Parts: sequence; structure tokens; C-alpha cells
Amino acid sequence: MKYQWLILGAISIAVVTMLSAFFGIFEKRVDYNTQIKPLLNKNCIACHGGVKKAAGFSLLFRHEAVAPTKSGKPAIIPGDADGSEMIRRLTLTDPEERMPLEHPPLKPDEIETLRNWIDQGADWGDHWAYQTVEKPDVPKVGTFWSRLGIVENDEINWAKNEIDHFILDKLKAEGLKPSSETDRATLIRRVSLDLIGLPPTEKEVSDFVQDKSPDAYEKVVDRLLQSPAYGERWAGMWLDLARYADTKGYERDGGRKIWRYRDWLIKAFNEDKPFDQFTIEQLAGDLMPNPTDAQLIATGFHRNTMTNDEGGTQDEEFRVAAVLDRVNTTWDVWQGTTFSCVQCHSHPYDPFVNEEYYQYLAFFNNSRDEDVTSDTPTLRFYKSADSLKTLNLRSFILSHASNPKEARLQADYFTRLARTVEPKINSHDFDQLVNASLLDAKYFGFQDKGSARIKNVTLTNRPRLLIAWGTKADDAVVTIRQDRLSGPVLATIPVPKTGSAWSDSIQMIPLPAIQGKHDLHISLSSPKMPKEWVMIKWVSCVPKMAGQPENAIGEQEKILVDVLNADAEQTPIMMDGSGDLVRETRVFDRGNWLVKGKRVTPDVPKSFPAMNAQLPKNRLGLAQWMVSREHPLTARVAVNRFWEQLFGAGIVETVEDMGTQGIPPTHRELLDYLAVEFMETDQWRIKKLLKKMVMSATYRQRSQVSPEVLAKDPFNKLLARGPRVRLSAEAVRDQALAVSGLLSHKMYGPSVMPVQPEGIWQSPYDGDSWKQSTGEDLHRRALYTYWKRTAPYPSMVTFDSPSREFCQLRRLRTNTPLQALVTLNDPVYMEAAQQLAVYMQQEMTPEKQIRAAFRRVTLQEITPRKLAVLAQLYRNTEQHYRQKPEEMKQLMACMDPTPQLAALTVTANTILNLDEVITKE
Amino acid sequence: MNKLLDELKRAAAERETRRHFLYTCSTGLGAMALGSMLGGCGFFEKDKPQAINTGGQQSDEPTAPRSSQYLPKAQRVIYIHMAGSPSQLELFDYKPELAKYNGKDCPQELLEGKKFAFIRGVPKMLGPQGKFAQHGQSGAWVSDYLPHLQGVVDDITFLKAMHTDQFNHAPAQLLMHTGSARLGRPSMGSWVTYGLGTENDNLPGYIVLASGGKQPDAGKSIWGSGFLPTVYQGVQCRTDGDPVLYASNPAGMDRDIRKQTIEAISQINQQQYEDVKDPEILTRIAQYELAFRMQMSVPEAMDIKREPQYILDSYGVDPNKGSFARNCLLARRLVERGVRFVQLFDWGWDTHGTSADGAIEIGLRTKCKESDQAVAALLKDLKQRGLLDDTLVVWGGEFGRTPMQENRDGQVLPFMGRDHHLDAFTVWMAGGGVKRGFSYGETDDIGYYGVKDQVHVHDLQATILHLLGFDHTKLTYQFQGRPFRLTDVAGKIVKPVLA
Repeated sequence: MKYQWLILGAISIAVVTMLSAFFGIFEKRVDYNTQIKPLLNKNCIACHGGVKKAAGFSLLFRHEAVAPTKSGKPAIIPGDADGSEMIRRLTLTDPEERMPLEHPPLKPDEIETLRNWIDQGADWGDHWAYQTVEKPDVPKVGTFWSRLGIVENDEINWAKNEIDHFILDKLKAEGLKPSSETDRATLIRRVSLDLIGLPPTEKEVSDFVQDKSPDAYEKVVDRLLQSPAYGERWAGMWLDLARYADTKGYERDGGRKIWRYRDWLIKAFNEDKPFDQFTIEQLAGDLMPNPTDAQLIATGFHRNTMTNDEGGTQDEEFRVAAVLDRVNTTWDVWQGTTFSCVQCHSHPYDPFVNEEYYQYLAFFNNSRDEDVTSDTPTLRFYKSADSLKTLNLRSFILSHASNPKEARLQADYFTRLARTVEPKINSHDFDQLVNASLLDAKYFGFQDKGSARIKNVTLTNRPRLLIAWGTKADDAVVTIRQDRLSGPVLATIPVPKTGSAWSDSIQMIPLPAIQGKHDLHISLSSPKMPKEWVMIKWVSCVPKMAGQPENAIGEQEKILVDVLNADAEQTPIMMDGSGDLVRETRVFDRGNWLVKGKRVTPDVPKSFPAMNAQLPKNRLGLAQWMVSREHPLTARVAVNRFWEQLFGAGIVETVEDMGTQGIPPTHRELLDYLAVEFMETDQWRIKKLLKKMVMSATYRQRSQVSPEVLAKDPFNKLLARGPRVRLSAEAVRDQALAVSGLLSHKMYGPSVMPVQPEGIWQSPYDGDSWKQSTGEDLHRRALYTYWKRTAPYPSMVTFDSPSREFCQLRRLRTNTPLQALVTLNDPVYMEAAQQLAVYMQQEMTPEKQIRAAFRRVTLQEITPRKLAVLAQLYRNTEQHYRQKPEEMKQLMACMDPTPQLAALTVTANTILNLDEVITKE
Repeated sequence: MNKLLDELKRAAAERETRRHFLYTCSTGLGAMALGSMLGGCGFFEKDKPQAINTGGQQSDEPTAPRSSQYLPKAQRVIYIHMAGSPSQLELFDYKPELAKYNGKDCPQELLEGKKFAFIRGVPKMLGPQGKFAQHGQSGAWVSDYLPHLQGVVDDITFLKAMHTDQFNHAPAQLLMHTGSARLGRPSMGSWVTYGLGTENDNLPGYIVLASGGKQPDAGKSIWGSGFLPTVYQGVQCRTDGDPVLYASNPAGMDRDIRKQTIEAISQINQQQYEDVKDPEILTRIAQYELAFRMQMSVPEAMDIKREPQYILDSYGVDPNKGSFARNCLLARRLVERGVRFVQLFDWGWDTHGTSADGAIEIGLRTKCKESDQAVAALLKDLKQRGLLDDTLVVWGGEFGRTPMQENRDGQVLPFMGRDHHLDAFTVWMAGGGVKRGFSYGETDDIGYYGVKDQVHVHDLQATILHLLGFDHTKLTYQFQGRPFRLTDVAGKIVKPVLA
């Protein structure tokens, strides 16, 4: 073997040398991306890259690679391979010196490639996915004459749109032929499951089969794209990316109401919100001018990070963890790039340096959420009376302010205050604690004679202190002093007796007019019950409302306080701090949040097109930059993700990584073509993109495969056949409910709790329990199921759903016995089987009953062989239950049992477990 | 032999990255077999067309038994985690000096720069509450809290200077079991089944049993598979209801009917395969048949009533009640049947002194009483069956407890308690390649810091993997652009404890 290599190597060197001697001038240029980068990544960069720079030599960037190393000499001298230490070290025989150390030497032709590359100047190239997308030419299919329509041609007849041209081009190169269009029943089932996550009804199938018009299929596609179920299906996909859950995660994993974000997603997909807008609203809806409620709710995307309520945990540590997660998730979802590596060191393979991570983090580091138990900031939804009060306040301000500009500013300020209770200072920031503590490490509390400092509060034009606090003590009084614990008294106020320190009441306290920034010192006198805690959750200094008195709280201000204390439903949103609340960002040394390094300001990595100078350097500007035409990744990543959902694998299979370590695309030109079309022609409309894909002949192919094709392309990368993949966790459940007639089509609202085995949930802290829903809520689509991070709905997890603690870009499909147990024995599937059995009873003979059920579930006519198997099963089972009426009664639970119905139930249970049922064919 | 090793190395290199694997094997069956680390992608591809008709015994099964990187001392693990963290100062780490300081203010220098979960201000020192004596040939110190364990100390290696990075339960448990304090990494049991597969394909390779009335704080993530395929996640066998979810047939469907339905499903799927030739269908047939076998084998393995009375008595098990003792006996039954990794969690060891249950002098004694006999019986039982030689038993919490008495929020608490402590605690190991009757590591006079032979959580993990035949730096999985491993970027094998 070795000798062969040597001989081959020798020959190739000889040939290359000869060729370069004769045709030196025509020598083919070495391509960095396809020929050099893979070699460096495989052999060199682990020691000479972003993480380690052995001997001071790194191959991550060109300027590093040609710079002097520790020896003082550069290892690569462009134009002089013979003089380059790198080539010398690759060709040595001494194992102590020869590179790669302790690894087999490079092959002679590989070394020759590197040599040529250096001789040609050691040019660097950008990785394909980091270059702005250009629209490639669409390959031609058929012959010249057939394109003119003069002669018939298979390729011309097969191809439906441009996608097929790209696919055909590759197939031809590999000596493969595409498959013909699948039968109509299979096709409509496939496209229904793909576009709306539900199978078609029998009627829809027969309508389609009988529709002889040329656009019969297109009509089906258009109908599906208009279905409300479409939004549910695609929101379901996005929820994994958004790490959406109905609980906060970590140890206590208490409940969180953020379902409005899920509903926003469904609506956004249904109204076909362009993907650029979809992106901007989720990442920065709060920073858009005059954001609507919907735009604020959309920012829930990044409020799906976890909150740690465990006693003793530091809020700041988990605030930082949430911010890091936002950075990583943004990269994962929109950029298909593993940026999280760069948290601790420069990227090992891709062109990102450590500091760039923190510049990027600076975009996200200014948000007001601080891991507090209340999950603030939230958008509050008041009951109508309170809602009316906020509207009245707004008009009061507008009519009482001194000038229109002021009126507008104040009206917005107080409306925002009423809707979000922001801005505010969380009490975990208080310091100089005396006889005081962060209770449960969460909120500030003090006892008699206790005190604390609130640092650096701007008081100019803010003569009102809002404070959320409470206690069990009688006659507790707090004094607020300026600058020192013995400083001038600003206010002395009794603490409201709320029954417990943990329940708070919001109060507004007038302060004297003071200019500038000051420390506020608070001290407590509570001699009656000195051991009872007074807890403060937050404080905020706010302006006086227009039309209100100077030195006392006015009537309108009291109404505002009433509203703040009113009961309201809340949904977490993003909101940035301003003024005193702006946070600075520093590099964390080796990724450790406790060790802060150099200060950084928001910016995007240099390997990408710079941000347009017009764009604000905040999340809004960042989001707009991401969806700019020049951005190389956003459209490619999006197109690849939608492709993966339909075809089972992405054009770049590693949906999560388009970087140099990702799997190279199978059809790069197609990806680029679709990305440009998506941005330009389709104006980022997802429905248009999906329609293009499902209208292609590639998508419509039969999924049957011949042994020859299977041997040549076992994983259908070249798409010489249609996709055949197991349904997602959601679709497995939704389909069973749909075909049995149990499915509820009710949309939106709080998450529901369908039947779940006992003992899955353990919530010792907040006493939450799985309260089984009633009525149609038992049979809602899977995406409405309550999602507890530490105990997700078991059958979903069994079918590869993630826990949603973090963003998961791709569900790896497994095929396990536990899945079989779910569809065989889970009461949900048994209930579906019983319903199906009732339906089967409409037919007279067992054969007809089985035919009917099989058609209803698979939408295909049963073959005689399959019918024989099921008929036999039915007969055996019926006989069994005839002899064992007790078992029959148990099986049929609340129905009127007969041996026939019991046997039909068993038969239906069998049909629902067939491979062709849980697979999209 | 050399040739075999070379072949293994080559196969391992081929499988070095998941991405490489995905690249060559892709989805479908490939995704199924993702983890067969040493199976070799080429091997798998070559065998695929033949392998598919052999039912559940195929070599590309992700949980098929595999050899480790080098000859292992331990074939399987029982990991006993006392969730909440028992006090080492009451049980194993005898500190007579600490008794002298009992009730005195904690010296300021011990508090400077330290953070505690609940201690605030200046707490008082708390002397050991157990009566200590040396036991066995090895002279191991064990207190009167654990009278049964005193009798088996000569089979045990104590690690007395363990330390960790996390002082809250959930992060510390995650660090102990996944190597990272953050969620999202695979657990030790997942790594082990990923590396070794299981020896009994009628049972899950990684089984979790919990007792104490509550799940551990970090929840299912500590037996999750993280980014490894979900086939490697721990399967929690429940103590009430089905041991494995949905293992029971619906009421009114007996095993014979179930058998007939599965046969019908398999026959029709086989017909479907003949038509469409998707190899995934054959995997599905095999998985349904395995599910059917599991329906039988899991309840059989979990049926403790099959044990003779003297065994039940030795563990102190009431067969009708779920308990930690019952889980110990189940653990033996499971490893006996070839389950690779059994993880026991027992909740209720978090003794802060805020209540009687959480008190050093009351609750801790109760927890010890409930568990001591069973743990000792487990070691003896494994030994008499010859299983202890290649079964590794590990016992410990997620961190230690302070030599100071907890003063939550600056208050005197009604009972004796100790706060979470990350600088010193005790873990012990027995069987499977560790020394017998050995103690490693020392803490200072008051048990505050390790002063000799400290062992970090990652070192413990490296050692466990070593005993199972793995170089912890080489048992990796490619994810998000880099190879991940249980020990992150740290971990040293604790060689002195190896037999």
C-alpha cells in the first residue's frame, strides 16, 4: 500500500514537475478554498490556529501566516516555497521535527499543492459562505434542439423549474437519472405534511386525484399555503430555534407565560411576514420606532433564555449566561456559524478573533433583564378598566404638558412605564448592606437598623421615587438620605404592611428637586418587630407627570400607581437600558465572566461586510445589517433550513455550520441561486420560497429506490429520488389525532396539558402540577402542549424533540424501541385507535373495514398481501375477545364493547404503527 | 494483537469526528448508528445491506457492545449520588480539631473573598456530630452514622480531598455528571454507553433510579444525552407505574395479542421494504421487535419479588415500597443483566439546619439509617457474585459542607446545619479496578481545604473513564465545530487509587 503511494507520489511529482517546466506559464492556479484550506484544517490548524499558536505560527489569517514566527523568520514566504520553513518541515524525515508532529506525513501530492500555492504567492481566499451571494447561471437541460421545442427530451419533460436544472446537472455528472413523479395520493400527503404538518383528508386526496386540470397540483399547494395550519407547522419548527418553553429552566424551573410569542410566530408565518422583517422584529422589535405590541412580543425570541431562581444563585452570573446564549443563538439561527467557540479564544477554524465575540456581545449586553424571579421586563396586558385608565392618563398628559414636544415625550414615557414598569433599578444592585441581605440571593431585605446604598442615581427632573416593597412588620419606617448615611433626609416613609416581605406593593414618593447624580442611602427603623424583614424589589426615579403638583403626589399619578399595582398578564420582552442603566461590555478573559479584560463597543466581525454607517450601533442596526443584501449568510442559512425541512437534509447538511468545518454543500450553486431569488425576486417571502421548492420536479419524485441507486447514493444527497423520512414528533401525534377525527383545530392561547402519565412532573417549589386539560384542549396540535424544560412531554422527547433549554438547530432522527412503545401503548394513540375503530364499523365486512381504515390513515389502497395480514390479525383478535369478555371491556374502557369493536381497535392500533404511516413517503 | 490495535486506531480515527461520520453515513440508518464509535464507518457501510435482515443483533446498532480504547478494569458502573450533598464532616472526614472550635466565631481569614450560598456575616464553627472510629484492616475512619458501611471499608477507596467549582445544587450536579455547570452536555452515563454500548440489548444501556421523594435539582439533564444522539440518554425507570414509560400494553391487551400485532406490523413493513427499499424500514422492524422484548425484560429485571427473602433482608427492602434500598437491589439486578451504567439518585441530603429533616443531628441520621444497610449490602452482594471485580461503585454528593454552622441571612437557625462547600468533600469508590481499603487525599485540621492529593470533579471523571478503558481526552464527539468530551479541557487520572 505504502509503496503504491510512494510510486504514485513519485509519478505525480514527476508529472507535475514536467508540466510546470513545459507549461509553467499556463500552470493552473491553486484554489485556496477547495485545495488549501481543507489541508490546513485537517493537518495543521489544531496546533497553528485560533486556539494554539505553536511556535508563534498561525494559519488562521494570511497576515498571521506570513508574519515572523518565534524563530524570527516567517514560516511562509510568498513566492518562495523552497525558502519557506513550512515546506521544509513537512518534508523532513526526522520524526522529532517533521510536521505534522506525531501524525502521518502529508502525501507528496498534498505537499506539492502547498508548494505550488506558496510559489504562486500564498493567496488567501475567503470561505465561500463568507462571500456575498451572487446569482449563478442556471444550468441548461436537454439538447439544443429540444430546448427549442423541436424534439422531445426526457430532461425537458421532467424539469419543472430552475431547481431541477441544478439537480439534473449534478445527477448527469454522477451518471444518475431522476425518478418520475410519485402518485398523486402520495404527493398530496407529502406536500400536506410538509406545508401544514397534517395529512390531507380522503376527500382532498380524491379531489386531487380526479382533477385533470394542468394546475391541479399548484392549486393544492396554494390552498395549503393559505391554510391557518401552515403557520402552526412552521412555528413548530421555529420554536426549537427560539428555545421556546413554558417554564424558566434550571433547578426550580417555574412557569413562564410567554405563549404570546408563540402566537406571534404563528401569525407571522401565516401572514407571510417577509423574513427580513421577521428577523428584525424578533431581534429588535423594541428598538423600532414606536413599536407595536406585536413587535414587542416578537422580541420574546430572546427572552426564551433561561432564568435561574435557585436559592443562592447570583443573578449577574445567570444574566451573563443569558446574554451569551443570545449571542450564540443569533449566530446559530441566522448565521449558521458556531460562534460560541470564540467566547474563550479565537475561532479554531473560521476567521473570528476572540475580541469580536465581545464586540458582538455588546449589542446584547444592554438589555434590562437581570435574571430576576419576576422575569422583567415584561409587556403587561391589563384588564379593560385598567387599560382604559392608561389611555386616559395618556390623553391627560397630552392636554396638560407645556408644549407639544414635551407632551409627546411624557405621554410615551408614562405609557411605557404603565405597560412595562421600566426603567427601574433591581434591588440586587444595592450595596453597603448593613443588617441586610439579598434574601434567597434574590431581592434585598433589611431588618431594624439596617441600611444600604443605591449608587449613582440621576435625580435631575426626577422628583418621584417609585418603589416596590413590603413587610409583615408593623410601623416599619424607611428614611432616604442623600449622598451619605448621615446626609440630608429626602424622604421618610412608612413601609406598607403587605402580610409578607415577599409580597410587594408599588408606591410613589415625592422627592425634593435635586440636580445631578447622587447616591441614595436607605435606612430602616422597625423597633416593634425588629426581626421582620422589609424587602425591596426595585426602585425607580421618574419625572413628575405634567399637570401634577410639585411637592405631593397628584391624582393622576395615583391612578398610575393603581395601574402599576393592578393585576395584569405579562409576557417577557427585550428592552434596552439608557442613561444610568447603560452597561459597559468587557472581554471576559478566557471566557470567564468574572475576569474582565479590555472594554469593547458594539461591532460586527471584520470578516463580514461592515455595518452601514447609517445604521445605529444597537440590536436594531445589527438586525438590519444581518438582512442586508450584502450579508453572505442570512439568506443562505434560511434557504438551507427550509430546504432541510422539506428534503430531510440541507444542501449544506450541517444546517448549524456553514463554516469551513461544516459539510460542503451538495449543490452550492443551487443554494446561492435560491438565496438570491429569496432576497431579490421573492422579497424574503417564505411562502414563495417554499412554493418554488415544492413545485419542483425534484420534490415530486417517487421515493422508491433501486438497489443500484441505493448503493450509489445511499443517503439521497443527489436527489435522484424523492425524500422519505420519519415524521417529526409533532406530526406523529397530530396525524394520529387527525386521522382518527380527534384533532382540535383551535388556535392560540395558553399552552395545554393533554394526557400524560403520572409522576413526570416534579415541582417542589411553586407547586405547579400537570392539570389535565378538558374538552378539546386534550386534542390540540402538539405545538400547544405545555413545555416544561426539566420534564418535557415524554412522547415528544422520545421522538427527538430537544428539551428547549438551548437553541437546537437540527433534530437528529433516531429510530428506537422507546418510540415503538409510545405509538403502541401511549393512551393518546389507543384513544385514536378506538376512534378509528368506530369509524371502521360503518363498513360491513372486516375486509372492507380494514380497507377503509387503511385508506383513511395512509391515503392509499391496501394491497391484497397487506390486507391478508391484517384480516388474519383481526380474526384472531376477534376470537380472542369473544372468549375473554373481561379483557374486551378493559380494552374499550368507556365504549360499548363488542368483540368486533375490540378487534377493530387492535387492528387500528396496528395500522397506526406501520412504517408507511409514521414516515413521509 | 498489534494489528488489531492498529485497526481499532484506524477505525477510531475514521470516526474521529461526527461530522466526518455524518458526511459519509449521513441520515437514516446513519443517524441511528452515529455513535458506534469504533464500529468504523466503512465497516458499517460495507455491512449494511446484509446486516439488515438479522433483527436486533446487527452490528450497526448504536447500543451494540463495543470494546473500549484499551483493556478496561471495570465493565459497568453503579453511581450512587446522594443529592443535596451529605456532610463529609459527620461521616468520613474526622476532624477532632474542629470540635475544639465548636461554637466559636469563624476566623475572618476563612471568610475573606469567599462566597457562600446562604452563610452571611460571621458564622460560628460547628464541631463533628458523629462518633468516629477506625475500622477494618485498612483502619478507615467512619462515624457511627454509618454502622453497616464500617463493615465493608476494606473494599473501599476514599477520596477525601475532592473539590468542585460550583456551590449551588443544580450547577454542581451538572458539573459532576456532565463535566459542565451549564446545561446541554451529555452525562457520564451517556458518554459511557456511547463508548461501550450495552451488553443486554433487551434492556436500556443506561438506567436511572431516583428515590427520596424528589428528582435531583438539575432534573433530567444530569442523565441527558446532550448533543449525543438520544439513544444514549439515561432511561429513568420509575418506581410507580410502568418502569419504562409505555412499556405496559393497554389494559385489555395481553402479551399474545401484542405479539400478533407486532408480527403484523413487521410483515407489512417487510412488504413495504420490498417495495421502496428504504433500509430505515428494516431498522424499524428490529426496533419494534426489541420493544416487544423490552416489554418483557424490563419488568422482569425490575421485579424485586423474585429475590429470595434473605437477600431482601440483607438490603432491608420492603418489596412493596419504592425506596433507596430497593433501588440498590435493583441496581445489582440490572448490572447482573448487563446494563452498562446504573445511576441512583437519592434526594434529601441537603442539611442546612432550617428544619428537622434538614438537620445534621436529625435528618442526616435518618438519611444514613435509610441508606447505610443497603449500600453495604450492595457491596457484599456484588462481591459474593463476583461482580465487584469488574463493577465500579461510586458514592458521593455534588459538593461538601462547611465546617461552619449555617447562619442563613445572618440568623441563628433552629437546627444544626452546614452550608454548601466547594473546597472539600469526600467521595468513595469500590470495585472495578480501584484499590481496596485505601484512603487518598487529606484536608486541613478543620476540613476546610484539601491540603494533600486533591481531586477535582474532572479528575474523578477522567479516572472513571480510565477504569472503563477510555482515555478521557480521546472519548470525544464533534459538536459546534469542535470535539467535546466529558472532562472539558481538564481532568487528570488519579493514578494512586488504581489497583
